[in-house]
Amino acid sequence: MDQPNILEAQKLTKVYEDGLCALDHVSFSVKAGEIFCLLGDNGAGKTTTINLFLGFLNPTEGIPFINGIDVTKDPLAAKQHVAYLSDVVMLYPNFTARQNLDFFARLGGKNNLKREDYYNVLRQVGLQEKAFEQRLKGFSKGMRQKVGLAITIVKEAPAIILDEPTSGLDPKAANEFLAILHKLRAQGRAILISTHDIFRAKEISDTVGIMSEGKLLAVKTKAELEHENLEKLYLDYIQGKVAA
Amino acid sequence: MLKILLEKELRDIIYSTKFAITFAAAAVLVLLSFYVGIRNYQESIHEYENAKTTNAANIAAQTDWRQIQDRVFRKPQPLEILVNGVTNDVGRTTDMKSSGELNLINSRFSADPLFAVFRFLDLNFVFVIVFSLFAILFGYDAINGEKEAGTLKLVFSNRVSRASFILSKLLGSVLALGVPLLVPLLIGCLMLLGFGIPMSGLEWVRLGMVIVAGLLCFGVFLTLSIMISAMVARSSVSFLLSLVVWIFSVLIIPKGSVLLASQIASVPSIDAVETQKRKFSADQRQKWLEVTQQWFSSRMKSSASFSDSGFVNSMAAFQDSMQKVSEDARAEFYSRLDEDWRNKKDWQERWAFGISRVSPTAIFQIAAMNIAGTDVGMKFRYMQQLSRYREAFAETMRKKTGSSADYFRIVIRRFSGGQNDQEEKQKQLNPSEIPEFVEQPRGLGDTIAASLFDMGLLVILNAVFFGGAFAAFLKFDLR
Ligand SMILES: Nc1ncnc2c1ncn2[C@@H]1O[C@H](COP(=O)(O)OP(=O)(O)O)[C@@H](O)[C@H]1O
Ligand SMILES: [Mg+2]
Repeated sequence: MDQPNILEAQKLTKVYEDGLCALDHVSFSVKAGEIFCLLGDNGAGKTTTINLFLGFLNPTEGIPFINGIDVTKDPLAAKQHVAYLSDVVMLYPNFTARQNLDFFARLGGKNNLKREDYYNVLRQVGLQEKAFEQRLKGFSKGMRQKVGLAITIVKEAPAIILDEPTSGLDPKAANEFLAILHKLRAQGRAILISTHDIFRAKEISDTVGIMSEGKLLAVKTKAELEHENLEKLYLDYIQGKVAA
Repeated sequence: MLKILLEKELRDIIYSTKFAITFAAAAVLVLLSFYVGIRNYQESIHEYENAKTTNAANIAAQTDWRQIQDRVFRKPQPLEILVNGVTNDVGRTTDMKSSGELNLINSRFSADPLFAVFRFLDLNFVFVIVFSLFAILFGYDAINGEKEAGTLKLVFSNRVSRASFILSKLLGSVLALGVPLLVPLLIGCLMLLGFGIPMSGLEWVRLGMVIVAGLLCFGVFLTLSIMISAMVARSSVSFLLSLVVWIFSVLIIPKGSVLLASQIASVPSIDAVETQKRKFSADQRQKWLEVTQQWFSSRMKSSASFSDSGFVNSMAAFQDSMQKVSEDARAEFYSRLDEDWRNKKDWQERWAFGISRVSPTAIFQIAAMNIAGTDVGMKFRYMQQLSRYREAFAETMRKKTGSSADYFRIVIRRFSGGQNDQEEKQKQLNPSEIPEFVEQPRGLGDTIAASLFDMGLLVILNAVFFGGAFAAFLKFDLR
C-alpha cells in the first residue's frame, strides 16, 4: 500500500460549547483505493468527525486534511477534492432526479455535462429509467439515496465521505449500494464511511475504526479482521474490556 | 457560482406546487380587487352623474333663485377605489349655501351598509394581507428548510461561499416571487384601460407609486422572514415567529397604535364640538330675531308701508349687513373651534401614525393612502376646496338674488309680492349659470412629498432586513 493519504485526521478534538467533548484526539488516514469505515454507536462522534472534514465545524484541536490541504486554513480549496453525502438526503423535492444531479454537478465544477451523461450516472447507481425525469417528491428513501450517490459520483473527487449511507435502505438497495462503492474503490477513490452497522462495516471496508464516546479505540485492517469476530471485538472495545 | 445558485433558487420556487397554488390565489385576488374596484367606480360614477342630473333638474324646475337648494357632489376618483382609505367614510354630498357651515353627508357606508361589510377587497388589502402572507410563506424556511432537507450541507460540501449562497437566496426569492406578482398587477392596469376608466397621466403615475410601495412592503416581509429563517434552526419555529410578526404587523400594531394614541393625546368628541356650534348658532339666531324685531318696530312707528319698494330695499340692505356681521362671527367662532379640534386631532394622528410605523404594512398603508389621496386629510382638503368654491357660488347667488342672506330669503319673498316677482315666475332657471365645482387633485410634487418619508422607510427596512439576513447567515450553523 504505497498510495498517498487522501483523507487524514490529525488528533482531531472537538469540545462543543456546552463543554461536551465529542471528539478526543482522533487520528486516522484513508488512502486512495481504500474504504475506511468509522464504526460506532449513536453519539460516538462519527458525524462530528465528518463535519470537521467539511469545515462545517472548527476543531478545538488538531487538523483535518483533504488531499494534503488543511481544511481549517482553506476550506473552499479543500472541498474541491471531496464529494459528500449527508445522513439526511431529502434533496430538492421539486426537481427531477436529473435536475438535482445537474445542480450539484455544476456546483462541483462539472459544467459541460449533457443530459445523456447524467442518465449514465443515474443508470450506474441503479435508478429505474422512468424515474430519471420524475420529481423527487414521490421517491422512496432508497431512490433518493441513489440520486445522492449519483451526486457524489458525478463530482469525480478523489475523496468521498458518506455519513450513514445504508441506514434506512432495504437489503437489496443496500447491496446495490455496496457494489457501487466497490466500483468507486477500484477507480482509486479514498472513501470514508460512517455506520453503526457492524456487519456492513466488515463486509465493505478495508479498514475499520471503532469509535466510542469520542475516542477512536482501534483501527483494524481487513487482514486483521479475517481471524477475529468483529462483533465481539466491537462490544469488548466499547465496554472497555480491551485496552485501546 | 452565484449564477448556478440563483438559477436553482428561481427554479426551486417556480416549480413548486406551493408556488403554483399561492401564486394563483394571489393573482386571482389582485384581478378581483381591480375588477371590484372598476365595478364600484362605474357604479359610483353612475350615482354621481344621476345625482348631478337630478340636482340640475330640481334647480331648472324652480323659477326663483332665492328658492333653489343646490347640492354639490364629490366626484369618485379611480384611485380612491383601488386604495379605499377613508373614502367610503367621507360624505359625498354637500348642501351648498352662501353662508353657514358646509357639511359632507351621505357617505358610501352610511348609504349602503352592505358595502361596508365587503369593504376589504381593494388593492390595499391585497398588498397588506395577501402579498405579505405570500412573502412569509416562502421566506420562513428559505434557509433552515434547506438545513432540514440536508441540502445545505450538500451545497456547502462544494466550493461555495456563504455570501454567494445567501445573496442568491435573497435575490432569487425576490425575483421568483416579485416578478410573477407584477403580471396580475399589469393585467389589472390593462383592465382599467379596457373598461375605459378615465385615468389621467398623473393618476397612472400615482397608481405606479402605489404598486412600487406595495412591492417594497412585500420585499420587507420577504427579507424579514428569510432573516428569521437564518436565525432559527428549525423551520417550524421560524414559521411561528414569522406568523407572529405578521399578526402584529397587520392586526395588532395598527389598532393598538390608535388606542395608545388616544390615551396619549385626547381629543374632544365631534359631538362635543357640534354641541358647542349648535349652541352658538342658537344664540345667534335669537340675537338676530331680537334685532330684527327692533328694526321692524322702529319701522312700524315711522308707519311706512310694507309694499313700498323703499321699504323692501332698506330691509334687504339691513339683512345684508346683519348677515355679514353674523356670518363673520359664526365663521370666526366655528373656525376657531374647528382649528382647535383639528390641532388636537392632528397631534393624536401624528402619535397614532408614528407608533403604527413599527409595522411595515402600516407604513405601506400610510404611503398608499397619501399617494391615492385617501388619507385622513382627505376630508379636510376637500372641504377647503369646497369653501373656496363657495365664494364663487355666493357671488353668483348675490348677483341673482340681490342678497346673500340665507335666513330670510323666504321672508323677503312674502313681503315683496310685486310686479317683478310675477315676471320672474314665468322664467325657468338655468342651472348651468351656477359655476361648477371641480375638485383639484393633489399635484405630483405634493403627492411625492406626502409619501416620501414612508417610501423611504420601506426602502430602508428592505435594506436593513436584507443586510440582517446576510449577516445572520454568515453565522448560521450549517450542520
Ligand atoms: N451542536 C452540538 N452541541 C453539543 N453537542 C453536540 C452537538 N452536536 C453533537 N453533539 C454531541 O456530540 C456527540 C457526538 O455526536 P455525533 O458526532 O453526531 O455522533 P454520531 O454521528 O456518531 O452519532 C453526541 O453526544 C452529541 O450529542
Ligand atoms: Mg451521525
